[in-house]
Amino acid sequence: MKNLFKSKGFREFLRVLIALAIGITLGFIITLFVSESPIEAYKSFLFGPLTRLNRIGDWLEDSLTLVLVGLAMCIVFTAGQWYIGAEGQMILGALISGVVILFVPLPPALRITLAFVVSAIVGFLWAVVPAFLKAYLNANELITSLMLNTIAIKAFEYFLKYYIMPEGSRTLTSARVPKDLQLPSFIPDIPILSSIRELWMKQTSVSIIVYIAIAAVIAVYYLLYKTPFGYELRTVGSNKKFARYGGININRTVLLAMTVSGIFAGIAGTHLTLAIHNRLIVGMSSGMGFEGVNIAILARLNPLLVPISSLLYGYMRAGAEVMERTTDVSRELVMVIQAVILLLVTAERLMPTIQQRIDHANEGNNINDGKIKGGINDI
Amino acid sequence: MTFETVIQSIFTSLFLVSVIRISTPIIFPALGSLVSVKAGASNKALEGLMLVGAFTGVMVSAYTGNVWLAVLCGMVVAVLISALLAIFHLYLGTDLFIGSLAVNMMCSGGTTFLMYIITGDKGNTGNLASLSVPNVHIPFIKDIPFIGEVLSGHNVFTYLAFFLTFVIYIFLYRTRYGVSLRAVGENPEAATSLGINVKRVRMTALIISGVLSSLGGMNLSMAYLQMFARDMSAGRGWIGLASVSLGGKKPLGTMLAAVLFGFSDAIANQFGSLDIPAQLVTMIPYATTIIALVVYAIQQRRAILSRMKKFQKENEEQLKGAPEKSE
Repeated sequence: MKNLFKSKGFREFLRVLIALAIGITLGFIITLFVSESPIEAYKSFLFGPLTRLNRIGDWLEDSLTLVLVGLAMCIVFTAGQWYIGAEGQMILGALISGVVILFVPLPPALRITLAFVVSAIVGFLWAVVPAFLKAYLNANELITSLMLNTIAIKAFEYFLKYYIMPEGSRTLTSARVPKDLQLPSFIPDIPILSSIRELWMKQTSVSIIVYIAIAAVIAVYYLLYKTPFGYELRTVGSNKKFARYGGININRTVLLAMTVSGIFAGIAGTHLTLAIHNRLIVGMSSGMGFEGVNIAILARLNPLLVPISSLLYGYMRAGAEVMERTTDVSRELVMVIQAVILLLVTAERLMPTIQQRIDHANEGNNINDGKIKGGINDI
Repeated sequence: MTFETVIQSIFTSLFLVSVIRISTPIIFPALGSLVSVKAGASNKALEGLMLVGAFTGVMVSAYTGNVWLAVLCGMVVAVLISALLAIFHLYLGTDLFIGSLAVNMMCSGGTTFLMYIITGDKGNTGNLASLSVPNVHIPFIKDIPFIGEVLSGHNVFTYLAFFLTFVIYIFLYRTRYGVSLRAVGENPEAATSLGINVKRVRMTALIISGVLSSLGGMNLSMAYLQMFARDMSAGRGWIGLASVSLGGKKPLGTMLAAVLFGFSDAIANQFGSLDIPAQLVTMIPYATTIIALVVYAIQQRRAILSRMKKFQKENEEQLKGAPEKSE
């Protein structure tokens, strides 16, 4: 047991747990000050997403988008690039998949597949600009990607308004995606599950993106830890000079890191169009591209932990929405909570000072009765 | 309006006035970023700090009726938040970039949250009677025909921005503290060996950058507009960051780069009156930022290459001679 408590993973887990506790407590304290019924409000924030099936659906849908965006950020951050252009890639992915779905005359299955492929390509290509500028001209990728995010959002609005919006429509939205072109439910269409499938389809739109997200998690893990490219990526991220000395083509690695991350952000965009909103609408990404940063950091850049941190963030998002709808506390509270959590999780020296003291005390014990300890550990 | 009238309007004093007016909220965060970059701790929370400054200024001025108290409060809040960021970064080991993103998120969410509580509106504080800082009419200069129109009649913040550029220059290059600040940025180990407290200097730099950003924010909410709007900094903090690298990390260069961005913004405003879709026009400032960064990067690369060639030429003999010796 002692080894478990001492292990690095457990320590980090503990730190995340403490950060969560502090963040949520702080949120409650703020709620106490501003709300007329603070306990009611916080209850709906903490437990709201679980109270109804459609709310569970909202939670899972948001989490799935966040998994894909979080994976995208994992790749670029592992390569040591401060690239946060997922928002732009996602919105363009959403745009292009909307265009494919609404205007390309193909049978449904093919059209959906094409939408995925095209949005992945668009996500890939959109990152080429900042990636090229960073790799070959050393232009700050943080600023270029942020500027390109805004440009992507404006381009989205432009195309929506002048080319996609149906004539005579008063609101800035596209036509709805027809039912047979939306992503099918994640529950397979077999007799035993038919009643559950119907219930879930009626109340939620959790779609086959579940499987795509799981596949993406495994793919990114495989890519980062089991392929030569992943090795190069991690080396560039941890020590550029060593990477150059070892003969790694840094420019190519940086370029590929950003563009490959775009594939996942683009697919996240398709999910927005074909499952969550079912049409193109201004502000459809609702800041999820930036939340991907938090998710990747919270997951410690480990692709396998991304689903967990996404579920956590998705839960907070869903909870905040329930809270806003049912009580007088607005959802922006959750941004403050998330920011506090992010600060605390990355405060590496906050926990170790306590932990070091424990370690120190334990080392003393080990010397005193080393033989007994060793014997137990051997078994 | 035709294209010609737009071109003509660019050569009027009104256009220059708008360039100066639009540049001001970029100059402040740019200078703030410069100070922090010089100390080796690049503050990227400028957006968030601008927002809290803008928000506090509006709220305090609306409820106390005192503009200067509002400006002071906005600065104090920015000091507190940038000190929080500095403590997390310097003493608790948070990565500065991630910490900055967290602060940005906290400020964006927090200002909207408080605005909704206080005014019941999530968009802007248009229904609050907040104040704006006074405009200054410079005696004598205001009577000169063209120059007077351009230079006089701006709000206090505009003059402060240009004045602070020189203050920052003197601070960084002509004071003892400024020299140690730059030393900390260039070589922290050497600075430590000279007895400079690196953490304290960086803390000061981050706080100064916070105060400057908050002034930029208040310029937006108490002069440029007379209210606070959600996420009203709209990327100006990031453009300020770009101005620093574009301006060669020097005060005057940074200020000029910020004015260049203001210029492109003003031109975009002029084109707005043409029959071009607004979405495309509003892209111009962001596209300009990217293009400016690229041009700067290419120029830097050329400068390095020419320096290398010069070095090669000068040391041709030695470079050739070296292998012979080893044989």
